[in-house]
Amino acid sequence: MIDSNAMGHNADYLSSNPNYNFRILERAYANTSKEYAALKIAVENNDCASDNCLLEIARIKQLEEAPQKSIDFISTVLSEVSTVEEYNFDPNNNYEYTVVFCILSSKPGFSMTDGYNVTMYLLHDGGQDLVFEGPAFEQPLLLNSNSITALLESGTSIVASTPDITKGMMKLLSEIGVFLPEDINENNELKATAKIVEEFILKDKDGKPIYEVIEVDDGMGRNVLQYDLQKIQTKAEPFIKSEISGIMSSEQQTIAAWNVYLSEGKYWSYSEDLPLMQDKKDLFTEKYKDYFMNNYLKQFTQNQAPTNPQDAAVFDIKEAKMAKAQAFIEANNL
Amino acid sequence: MWGAVLGVAGNVASGIIGASAAKKAAKAAAAQKRALQQKLKSLEDNRQEIINPYAGFTNLSSSISNPFVNLGVATQAAEMQAEEADISLANTLDTLRATGASAGGATALAQAALRSKKNVSASIEQQEATNSRLKAQGEQQMQQARRAEEIRMQEAGAAGKQFVFGQTERREQQQLDRTAALLDAAVAVEQQAKADEVGAITGAIGGVTDILGGIGI
Repeated sequence: MIDSNAMGHNADYLSSNPNYNFRILERAYANTSKEYAALKIAVENNDCASDNCLLEIARIKQLEEAPQKSIDFISTVLSEVSTVEEYNFDPNNNYEYTVVFCILSSKPGFSMTDGYNVTMYLLHDGGQDLVFEGPAFEQPLLLNSNSITALLESGTSIVASTPDITKGMMKLLSEIGVFLPEDINENNELKATAKIVEEFILKDKDGKPIYEVIEVDDGMGRNVLQYDLQKIQTKAEPFIKSEISGIMSSEQQTIAAWNVYLSEGKYWSYSEDLPLMQDKKDLFTEKYKDYFMNNYLKQFTQNQAPTNPQDAAVFDIKEAKMAKAQAFIEANNL
Repeated sequence: MWGAVLGVAGNVASGIIGASAAKKAAKAAAAQKRALQQKLKSLEDNRQEIINPYAGFTNLSSSISNPFVNLGVATQAAEMQAEEADISLANTLDTLRATGASAGGATALAQAALRSKKNVSASIEQQEATNSRLKAQGEQQMQQARRAEEIRMQEAGAAGKQFVFGQTERREQQQLDRTAALLDAAVAVEQQAKADEVGAITGAIGGVTDILGGIGI
């Protein structure tokens, strides 16, 4: 919706004169000046409807505080819905917030001319409402300042931001303790030349690496190192767990990360799957580990050339097999 | 455009956008702070147990024994010597009697036989004592060497455990330190973003009160 170029090729839109003058604050405060003046005069003349002008004074205070509250409220809503602009935004979030963002940021197709409107109401309890209307809403979307404030103070958002798992996994690589410290740069990131340390290479009883032979050309092969993946996983486990527990500090972000990176099309819903049940947390943990092992660590455990240059040379697979058989025959006096 | 959307002057709109950006930064920093706090807790919870590298050690005192306890006393040799001397004397006397030799000759022979057996006996006794002493010394040296090797192996085991623990501890501590440093940074970013937000809103309020001056504040 946000990134679509369709409007650039829409003749009707190009010939229209869209009106974005929602005048949200101007309309909200249109009658407040008169009300404020009347209240002030009543209090100054001690001509109030309530005892000791208590109600009038309270309302004056509300009106005086209202502009700051409005700015705070609108900026809060804008900051919340601007999450939809993030590169890894989860489109499974409520689409209405994307519409709100499009309206507030004057995107083509979301003007008053297109049937959209935004109204702010100053409520008598001091709260404020923002009501969004238009073709993309099934019914008007109402946001209350007090509800939004309470939500945000409890660490919840109305639009879930997606944690950058790719960045997290890159960092995790340098933390799991299977690379040498000199393979990690000053930004705590793994260097491109990094190699998994010797202790994780599979070796025989004489301490020599057990190679896997891969065919590189017609009948020619070369040795590649094999790694003790179980040992690597055991070593990495606590660090992966701690990274996952960091993501899970926010359940809605866990859902966002799942939907964007791990779900393989089986999306979770923000309205139905929160709070997140333990089975989903377990599934997330399992998938996260697999994703890390397969997409990040695997590149360091596959097709790694032997450290001994002699073992790294390309050889004739058939000849090597015959030589091995001969060596066995001689060793066993067969 | 934002001014039109809100129906206020451009500077107010800028203030709202500034406040919005600051709120977003504060929210992101708060989320990062929460995540790092959780991560730190997890790292602390999953830290290796403190080990006692000497936990598997056995008391070697039971392997110490007195190698001299079975040291042979050469009494048997003395008894044998006495018996042989008696037999020898008896045999010599029988011979002297049969050949009619004088009593003085028989006595001399008997004394010679006795002296000979005494020497043999003394030699055996000496050899046996020497052997026992050597055996005891050998046993003692062997036990000392064995104990020294056991101690060396135990110390090597302890040093190995301590090395592994130390290395793991060092890596875990590094990770804890890094996470704690990131947490401090996230807290600082959150505080700065909140300060920016207050600044932006305060700046915008002036504009709003100008525009909405009618309410007289």
